[in-house]
Amino acid sequence: MKWTRKNPGWVMFAAMIGLLLFLWGMAIPLAAAPDPIGPAAKQFAEGARVTVWLTLISGSVGVVLGVIAGLGKLSAFAPLRWLCNFYVWLIRGTPLLLQILFVWLAVPQILPDSLQISDFACAAIALALNIGAYNTECVRAGILAVPQGQVEAARALGLSPFQTFMDIVLPQSMRVALPALANNLASLVKDSSLAYAISVVELTMVGYRIQAESYQPIPVFLTIAMIYLILTTAFTTLTAALENQLDVGRKRQENS
Amino acid sequence: MDTHQANLRPLIEAQKVSKHFGSFHALKEVSATFYEGQVTAIIGPSGSGKSTFLRTLNRLETHDSGSIRVDGIELNDDLKNLDAIRREVGMVFQSFNLFSHLTILRNVALAPIRVRKTSPAEAEAKAMALLERVGLADQAHKYPVQLSGGQQQRVAIARALAMDPKVLLFDEPTSALDPEMVNEVLAVMRELAHTGITMLVVTHEMGFAREVADRIIFFDNGVILEDTTPEALFTQPAHERTKAFLSQVKHGF
Ligand SMILES: Nc1ncnc2c1ncn2[C@@H]1O[C@H](COP(=O)(O)OP(=O)(O)OP(=O)(O)O)[C@@H](O)[C@H]1O
Ligand SMILES: [Mg+2]
Repeated sequence: MKWTRKNPGWVMFAAMIGLLLFLWGMAIPLAAAPDPIGPAAKQFAEGARVTVWLTLISGSVGVVLGVIAGLGKLSAFAPLRWLCNFYVWLIRGTPLLLQILFVWLAVPQILPDSLQISDFACAAIALALNIGAYNTECVRAGILAVPQGQVEAARALGLSPFQTFMDIVLPQSMRVALPALANNLASLVKDSSLAYAISVVELTMVGYRIQAESYQPIPVFLTIAMIYLILTTAFTTLTAALENQLDVGRKRQENS
Repeated sequence: MDTHQANLRPLIEAQKVSKHFGSFHALKEVSATFYEGQVTAIIGPSGSGKSTFLRTLNRLETHDSGSIRVDGIELNDDLKNLDAIRREVGMVFQSFNLFSHLTILRNVALAPIRVRKTSPAEAEAKAMALLERVGLADQAHKYPVQLSGGQQQRVAIARALAMDPKVLLFDEPTSALDPEMVNEVLAVMRELAHTGITMLVVTHEMGFAREVADRIIFFDNGVILEDTTPEALFTQPAHERTKAFLSQVKHGF
């Protein structure tokens, strides 16, 4: 493990390449599997790609939302604080499935007919809003963990409040927040399966369809579970490496 | 008073500066003018307002009343003035406050790049020269945690110098250091004092104050009790409080 700790960049690169190879190449070995897996290999691969897309898009937007709302919660401007508290309270207090259904059923009524969004986009919006609320708390805790002296030093050097935030506070808070954010991302891989409820053809939906056609749920769901495990492992490896990357300067390193 | 040399340009003018923390009166109408090139030591008992005074000078603390002018610019809520002043005033903290996620080189180069818009290459070349000057060029690519306290404080001084400030404020720069590291930091400060930069140094190092400072200020209870030369203060302190403080310092805490 020592090598992976010392070379987080390479670990991230390897995990990324591994994930891509898996996503684009898994249909090949799967095709060789017996019925009912083999004939549906392409569908499995397509479903996994949708799941990963959904995770990456809503995960990235969720981080941005988390940073914005996390900052908002610490704002000196009370109405902004209330708004961010309300957002977190609302999202964390209601089921994700309800949020997905709400975006899917309610948003088309709000938007004009010329501007309708796909099922996939509905799922991505709902998931981003959801993980964003959970990220908010992590980001807030991370920002509070940055010592006041770091901010004072930056301000005394003449950095503006915005520069101080971008150059000093944000990177240092991420170091603290990252393990929790990574956790949220790993759950997002799994939570994205709820998008099946609004007929997004992601991995779980693929499995549901194939078993319905073949009447063989056990091998189908085992395959699905395996793909999820590989995906979550890849994401966890990626985020762990990112953590190591950001960890520099926090403790003494043996190779200096 | 003999510390108010008429031929020197006033750089910091504090007039009747007051500061409250809640109901606690930390600074009580403090007035003092600091001149270009002057090295002033600020001493006094714990809680007397030394740090608070220093921190009002670059607005890390806001003052409630009175006025502070730095290089002719009034320190107030005007952000433009504040930016201008912070560019002229460097600060060195007791706890170093190096940016823990950045390398030593980056710590020194960051503010010139962001605030003065110097190109990164130029800023880093200058940072290297400054690190050379404080004897730490070989540590440039390490992170703050990998350095000793004395080394970190020397980096902090280089970081402040990178902005070419007219004034350097030191708030007990050696108080957090192990005894064997105090001298390496004082040596850098002594060398700086000889370059003619204006310095305000809150310190408990009486030897340093006596040897390096042109002027010494004794704070007590939020007021300046004495403002004179080190020679005068150490040989014939005017107040009982000063005498008591000096004898306490002499005999250690
Ligand atoms: N942020 C703050 N909030 C409340 N009180 C404060 C704050 N900062 C300082 N004080 C109080 O103001 C007084 C002066 O503090 P200051 O830090 O200026 O003292 P000092 O002379 O620097 O002491 P020391 O030698 O211990 O550093 C102290 O009584 C302190 O408790
Ligand atoms: Mg102090």
